[in-house]
Formats: sequence, structure tokens, C-alpha cells
Amino acid sequence: MLALQLTITGLQTGALYALTAVGFSLIFGSTRIFHFAHGATFIIAAYLFYFVNVSGYGVVLGIAAATAGAIAFGLLLNRFVYVPIQRDEGSFFTVFVASFGIGIVIQNIVGMIFGRGFVTVQTPLSFSVELMDGLYVSPLAWISMLCAVVFFGILWCFLRYSNLGLSLRALADNPELVKAFGLNPRYISACAFTIGSILVVPAAIISGATSGLNPAMGHHVMLISLAATIVGGIGSVAGTLLAGLALGLAESLALLYVDSQWTEAVTFAILFLFIIVRPSGLLGRSAAH
Amino acid sequence: MKQIKLIFAAISCMSILSFGTAAAEDHTIGALFPLSGPNATYGDVFMSGSDLAVEHINADKMLSGPLSIAYEDSQGLPQPAVVGMTKLVNVTNVPYVLSAFTGVSKAISTLGNRNEVVAVNGGGVGPDLAALGEYFWNVIPLVNLEVRAVMPYLIKEQGIKRVVLIYIDDPFGNSILDELESTLESAGGELIETMSVPTTAQQFSGIAAKVRAAKPDAVYIASYGAQQIQIVKQLRDNGVDQQLITYSGYLVPDALALPESEGIIATGQGVNYNSEDPVTKRFVADYTAKYNRAPTAYNVNYYNATYLFALLAQALEAEGKEVTGANLLAKRKEIGTFDLVGGNVSFQENGTLLFPIQVKTIKNGKTEVLDTIDFGK
Repeated sequence: MLALQLTITGLQTGALYALTAVGFSLIFGSTRIFHFAHGATFIIAAYLFYFVNVSGYGVVLGIAAATAGAIAFGLLLNRFVYVPIQRDEGSFFTVFVASFGIGIVIQNIVGMIFGRGFVTVQTPLSFSVELMDGLYVSPLAWISMLCAVVFFGILWCFLRYSNLGLSLRALADNPELVKAFGLNPRYISACAFTIGSILVVPAAIISGATSGLNPAMGHHVMLISLAATIVGGIGSVAGTLLAGLALGLAESLALLYVDSQWTEAVTFAILFLFIIVRPSGLLGRSAAH
Repeated sequence: MKQIKLIFAAISCMSILSFGTAAAEDHTIGALFPLSGPNATYGDVFMSGSDLAVEHINADKMLSGPLSIAYEDSQGLPQPAVVGMTKLVNVTNVPYVLSAFTGVSKAISTLGNRNEVVAVNGGGVGPDLAALGEYFWNVIPLVNLEVRAVMPYLIKEQGIKRVVLIYIDDPFGNSILDELESTLESAGGELIETMSVPTTAQQFSGIAAKVRAAKPDAVYIASYGAQQIQIVKQLRDNGVDQQLITYSGYLVPDALALPESEGIIATGQGVNYNSEDPVTKRFVADYTAKYNRAPTAYNVNYYNATYLFALLAQALEAEGKEVTGANLLAKRKEIGTFDLVGGNVSFQENGTLLFPIQVKTIKNGKTEVLDTIDFGK
């Protein structure tokens, strides 16, 4: 029963990791921008939902505010930070440092506005229900998994069948060819930031209710996203999804075999293993440069 | 050339002015508090006590010049704390530093001893803090006393025998593990499982499943900052309905406000806020007026730590002596007892103040005292 319990817990955690990581992977895979401030997008969405919710405006307005905030942040960051740096032939490292700095600025601004302590979104959905002897599952666990299925289903259809989705994949493959076909890479990049930022919203809201929030949690979010992106294969949305789920499951099921203090280390042991054995990741393409 | 001369003149004037304002009578002490990161919630709590003490000291003109505190951000972590302590000792040249957190305090104590700078802890509770040298003082009772107070009480009053410990994997968490093992053994209880968690962990639903499987009578939680609140929330959300027990580090506003905190048993130092002595009365009245909430033990400790500096420095100035770490230490030993918030208190040989320990429960976001254990009697 403990193994089943840990599997369900791991799937819930993995669904949240996957939702967060796929947004980062989509942005990085399409634009080659190391969007370290993706963790800040998570924080902005989570705190906006929390603020609207505690102000008494309800869940729907909270979701709308969180989504609008996440999109606005992603687009503004792309337009006013990443585009100018890239226009001046800024290096990959320059973009990374700028993004890292923005993440710290957002952490401090959120701390100034909402306080630096711990806050949580109170909802009865976070309380577990005993399904059978020793097996407890909260409604939010099912919602997490459902969100993952719905969002990835929509994303898969979008990338496969829409023109914009095809453009995104084309941008990831060959930006110069995209220009040659008369498409605007900047517009496509903006779309990548919009979709990537939207994907983080459900994970941010659900985390606010399950594990609570503090302004400093963005770095942890980013660390998991990065691990899932590398394990899944850089640029592979499906690979990142699988990796996110696998990391969540591994972190939870590790409790069956190792002391609790090593569960987080399991994530990075898997990451290390992939870097050594399969550097291109689960579904990534091998490249020889 | 004229411009260069003007700039030179301006810089010279600024230098003279800055020397003028930094008169020898001005006093600066340092503080290494967590001002960012997941432990930042403590920084605000600690600063509210020390800042009020500075206001009182300056309003009373206790010292020949104004007192100020140079705050450095330790993040509650040893490495940034050592960087901050190095700056306070070598650049700001303070004789006295307020410290917090067990890991931080242990990390900076060597610098304090080597440079004869007094470090005063009002927030860390690891038992090791009683043995960090002459220049390291504690104005807070350490957690070994808290464990020794709560476990016999719970075994006797609530029949709790089987305990699971969830503890943070750092010096503080390990000290709780040692203390809980020995206390439970001698009190007739049993530590049936221990689960350590990394300092960065945020997901505890798996831990909750393991706790349920162990079927304990109670769960002792030994962490701090946002993590300890996350543990409590996720245990309760994931069906752990056993008695939760924790220590004084949990009694911060964020944790008390959490609905899942209801019914938790926590220990903390006993402070008589209704004491008639003028220091306590003034502190309680002014703290409540300034922050619109009742003070907690942490506020008291950092008020006391700051006020203690003023008492010692005042005595040194009266004798025409310089306010240095070595002189502050000598003066503390000479005076022995001090009128601080909570009454007239004395330091033990190991530089730690002895306070009674209260066993409390959280009800409706506030603490209610269940029992008081005075180890000094």
C-alpha cells in the first residue's frame, strides 16, 4: 500500500514538475534563450492568484490574474531584456546573467509587496480523502494530473497541427530558414514566451495550495525545470514531460529504498546519469558539433 | 584643471564631514539576520526587537552617542554569515554582533573568538551553542531544555509513547535527534522512526505516507523557516492526524496563522509579560503600540541582546574604558546579573541565560500555556 501511495504522490509531484519544466523547455528549445527567470514567472503567477483569492475575488478571477501576470511578465522580459541583448549580439551567458538578475529582482519585489514569510492558498481541495485503508489522495492530486493531461494534449495538438506550432518547431530547428520563408522570428519567440508562461500557471496555483509559497522558491522551481529539460532532451517537449513525471516519481518512490534525506539527491543522480550515459536526454536528438 | 580642483575640494570636504559625524562616541553593533531566502520571516521578527531596543537606548541617552545596528544578511546559512561577519569585524569594526540560527552561530563563533568580538545569539537553539567560547553568549534557553521539558510532560499527561521525528539535516536537526533519543529513553517513550530532510526540500507528501505507515502516537518536527510550516501543512493535508510536537522556532506569526497549526504542542522560553518591572512594562507597551501585536520570545531576546550591550557599554563609559569586545566580556562577568525584559536574569558559566520552559498549545492562532518547567530550581 505504501508503494501505491508513493506512486500517486509521485505522479502528483511529477505532474507539477512537468508543467513547470515544459514551459521552460518550450522557450529554451524554440528561442535558445536560457530563461532562468521562468522561476520568477512561477512566483508572479502564484502570488497573483494568492492575492486575488485572499482579497475575496474568487478562483476564476485569480486564475485570470495569474495567467495575465505570467504572460505579461514573459512578454515584457522578452521584449525589453532578451531582444535588446540579442540585437547587440549578446552572448548566451549575457542572456543568462540578465535572466538570473531579473529573477532575484522579482524575488525581492514580491517579498516587499507580500512579505518574505510563508503564505498558503487555503482550499478544502488540498485535504486528502482516504480511498482505501492507508491510501490517501487529495482532490488536488487528481486536478494536477488532469491539468497535465489537458495542457499537454492541447500543446501537442497545437505544435503538430497549427501553423504557429509548426513555426515554433521550425524556429527551434533553423531560425535563418524561418526568416527565408518570410516568417517573423520575433513574433514566434513572443508566442513561445506566451505559451511557456501559461504552462507554469496551473503548477504555480496548485503549489500555492499544496506546499505553500515563499518568494525564494523560484530557484528551486528552476532547478527542477532545468533537470527535467536536460533529462528529457533539450528542446523536446515530450521528453521534458516524461522527465518531469519520472523525476517526481523517482523522488517519491526513493523513500521505499533510501533515507528521506536522499530523495532530492535522487533527482540529481538521475540527471548525472543521463549526462554521462545519454547526454542527448530521453527523447533529444544527438548532435555532433 | 579647475574642475579637478573642485572635485578634489568636494571629496576633501566630504572626508572631513564624514570624520566629523563618525565621532568616537557613536556606537555601532552588528547583526547577522536572515533578510532574504526561505528563512527571511525570522529577520523581520528579530529586527522588530532589536530596533525597539535601539529606540529606547537612544531616547534615554544611555550612551555618550547614538547607537545603531549594521545589519548583514546571513540568509540563515553559514557561508553568507561568515562573509557578513568578516565584514562586520574587519570593515565596520563592531565589538558586538547579534547572531541567530545554530549553523550560522557555529560558523561565525571562531571569527568572534579570534577577533575578540562578542556574538550574542537570541534565536538559535542547538545545544552546541553553549560551548562556543567565551565570546559567544546566548540570551535564549537551548533546545535540549525544550525537549527535556516537553517529552516527559506528554508521556505523563497524554500517554504518548511512540514518536516519529522529522528533522532538518543540519547541526540543529541532528542535535534534536540526539536529545530526543536520550530523553525518550529515560522518560519511558520510544523513537520509532527518524526522517531527515534536506534544507532545500519542499515536498513532504511522501514523508507523510511514511509517517502514517509507522503509526506513531506523535510526530516531532524539528526544522525552521518556511520548511517547517510546509511540513506541518503537508502532514495534515495528507492524513496525518496524530499529535504534532515542535520547539520554539515554530512560534512565529506565519506559522501561528496557519489553520493546520491548530492543536500543535510547542515549547518556548517562559517570559512573564505581566511583570511589574519597568523594563518589561515599557517593552510590552511600546512593542504592542509600535507593531500592533503582542511580543514573542524572539522579540524579547533581541531586545534583551541589544539592551545588554547598552548596559555594558554604559558601565564601561562611566569608568572611562573603551567599548571593546574584551572589555564587554569582562564587564558582563563583573556585573553578573541584569535587569532585562522578563526580570532580573543571570548568565550561567557557559554564557547562556537560564529561562523557564513553557509547554504550549496553539489555539485559534495563539499560544496557550499548558505547563511551565523551571530547570533553575
